[in-house]
Amino acid sequence: MGNKEKVLSLQNLTMSYSGKNVLTGVNLDVYSGQIIGYIGPNGAGKSTTLKIMLGLINGYGGKVEIFGQDIAISDQSFKQKIGYVPENAEVYDTLTAMEYLTFIGELYGLNREKVEVKAERLLEEFGLHEVMHSRISSFSKGMRQKVLILSSLLHNPDLLFLDEPLSGLDANSVMIIKDLLEELANQGKTIFYSSHIMDVVEKISTRIVLLVNGQIAADGTFDELKEKSKEGSLEGIFNQLTGFDQHKHTAKKVVSIVMEDDDNA
Amino acid sequence: MHNFTSLKILDFFQPLFRTMKIDYPTMRKILEVKLTMDQRRVPTILNDMSKKKKEGKNNFLLSLLIYAFYGLMLVPFIFLGDSYMFQISIMIGISMFILMTSLISDFSSVLLNIRDKAILNTKPIHPRTLSAAKIVHIAIYLSLITGAFIAIPSVVMIFTKGIVYFLIFLVEIILLGLFIMAFTVLVYMFILRLFDGEKLKDIINYVQILLAIGVVVGYQIVIRLFDFVDQEFIYDFSWWHVLIPPIWFGAPFELLLNQEYSIGIILLSILAVIGPIVSIYIYSLLMPSFERNLQKLMEESGTRKKRSWNLSESVGRFICISKEERAFYRFSSIMLRRERDFKLKVYPSLGMALVFPFIFLFNNLGYQSFSDISQGKSYLTIYFCNIIIGTVVYMLQFSGKYKGAWIFQTTPIHKHSAVYRATLKAFLVQLYLPILSVLSIVYIWIFSFRIIPDLIIVFLSAILLVLIAYRVFNNGKYPFTEPLESANQSGGNTGKMILLMVAVAFFVLVHFIVLAIPFGIYGYLLVLSIINIVGWKLVFK
Repeated sequence: MGNKEKVLSLQNLTMSYSGKNVLTGVNLDVYSGQIIGYIGPNGAGKSTTLKIMLGLINGYGGKVEIFGQDIAISDQSFKQKIGYVPENAEVYDTLTAMEYLTFIGELYGLNREKVEVKAERLLEEFGLHEVMHSRISSFSKGMRQKVLILSSLLHNPDLLFLDEPLSGLDANSVMIIKDLLEELANQGKTIFYSSHIMDVVEKISTRIVLLVNGQIAADGTFDELKEKSKEGSLEGIFNQLTGFDQHKHTAKKVVSIVMEDDDNA
Repeated sequence: MHNFTSLKILDFFQPLFRTMKIDYPTMRKILEVKLTMDQRRVPTILNDMSKKKKEGKNNFLLSLLIYAFYGLMLVPFIFLGDSYMFQISIMIGISMFILMTSLISDFSSVLLNIRDKAILNTKPIHPRTLSAAKIVHIAIYLSLITGAFIAIPSVVMIFTKGIVYFLIFLVEIILLGLFIMAFTVLVYMFILRLFDGEKLKDIINYVQILLAIGVVVGYQIVIRLFDFVDQEFIYDFSWWHVLIPPIWFGAPFELLLNQEYSIGIILLSILAVIGPIVSIYIYSLLMPSFERNLQKLMEESGTRKKRSWNLSESVGRFICISKEERAFYRFSSIMLRRERDFKLKVYPSLGMALVFPFIFLFNNLGYQSFSDISQGKSYLTIYFCNIIIGTVVYMLQFSGKYKGAWIFQTTPIHKHSAVYRATLKAFLVQLYLPILSVLSIVYIWIFSFRIIPDLIIVFLSAILLVLIAYRVFNNGKYPFTEPLESANQSGGNTGKMILLMVAVAFFVLVHFIVLAIPFGIYGYLLVLSIINIVGWKLVFK
């Protein structure tokens, strides 16, 4: 990880939907080989940031540079080296796993025969060889997620955007993905992913970025964050930095409301 | 994946796409995948017919057959009178109706699709290529449908009117196709610009209904443009005819075949050519902003205030006895109001219920004066709004979100029958009553207050029909528990639905007979009320 090449740069990024400010000035530089854990409470603007960087949303303020290109004025070519796993498992599920992967590979300009071979080998590694000619609609959530992850890797991207990549995966698969990300980072790839599962983020991220109310509230390695906040776990740090220390109180109150309801019945 | 003939034909136009700076190979790949996926779904026109879901071309070919069958409708008009203006305007009007309805019901989802943005727009493809793929995708289907639709009339035209007549018609129908596509998109564009968030998603639903109603009404207007004099339809140009597209297309025939060079005809002929081209040009200019505005469909909107008072809910408190039934009534009302997939299937038929009575009422205007009508019994045409009851009650068992139905299994429901009863009541109050009210206001305005007892009878017969329809279709299930796609699968239901429409005719007949008896109407009212009370008690025991 010696050569620090700037892969991604956000400069004073702002975004608002129908008058509501979602991002209020995000500044961030990301270098190759980093695994960024992008965390924050629900509605903090994580998915919006990802979508802006992928060119899915226009009308933002500030500047986004990927591989040194300003994406607002660049053509679509910056997407060539990006892989993306969307959060809601959006997928053409009437296609079979094989058809889907081939198609996505072709959209990245790969040769059909080559993608087919590659996709088959990858599916086999993920234990999906048996079902590769079945429709994705018949898959379990975890199987779909595996297909999505594979579809983001087919074209050997240099930058990966993963939105909740582990959702629905079993413990064994989670371990594969964790090691996979680490291995990719070792090869100089950059991984940018958002998740709510704090202990995973804690373990695999080389850098953690916390977004609160559309702004970066913390940025650093896990150890750095620990030092600053004097909390033992990322969960604790998260709670502290998002200004939330009411969890015990809220839980108690919820239980009491639940019990109260019981009396009436 | 298959080799598609349509794509092979498309290959001929490759240079055209290339000059428009579209990445043809990529577009072709996207189209190939989209067409493959389409083969694996059932088009809505086959709703009531497909007995089992078969993969492959059969489904779409079958639906083409239906369009070919619809095409038969055009044939009589080819022989109707000698006025080209009349023949063609009517034929184009009908074609417009058929093609636009199909475009709205089957391809709105393609046009407004934002789900695959995460898949396609994240890849290194120019947006221009993506919008091209979208529009070509729709165009392929529209041309297949159009082809099937005009196949039979074309043969008839060639043999009876000659090749020139047919060629003009062919060119016009292509222009019409362009116009319809552009027009539909422009309407959506307008709506997307005006609204946002949740409201937008709802409004889009209503627009689909309004467009459907619009074409029905438009057709009526066209027919009325012509004066029927001496067995012949006479056409007189008025300035406002330029606003009615089907009329445009009649003019070139007059111009070319009858050498009729009046200003009106020339103006309309120019519009027939320029209109579609201009609308497509505007479309291509606005397409990028359309795609940008489509984003609004993805946005989560802010918090919504709870409505403080709700008419349907107050009514519900009145007509539902038990607490449980009231809860299900409220639930059903919300589902009927909000569930978009369900609305897309059901609301167009509600639009029909609103329009049909007027169509049949105004048909009488042709040979009766307005005051004659208001004295007569034509108000019985209001029964036409009841023919949709069977369809809608059948649809109540389906939902796009059927998976949520596990709540019915895991909660301790005391009276199972209360669930469906509440849903039926919600349908009557939420969907049926508003339609009947609107109709009633207009009918009372036409026929005076003397028809109020009759209107009450119409409502009572609707309540009874709902009960009958429920008995016919239901097999002990809960409402909103079946996947919407399986609404296609039960072929046996078509017969039942027709039976329920016949039942409406029966109600009309009884009503008609009762009218002949002095004060019979009040007796009938009483009898219907009693049957209803006893019937509902018995069925939901």
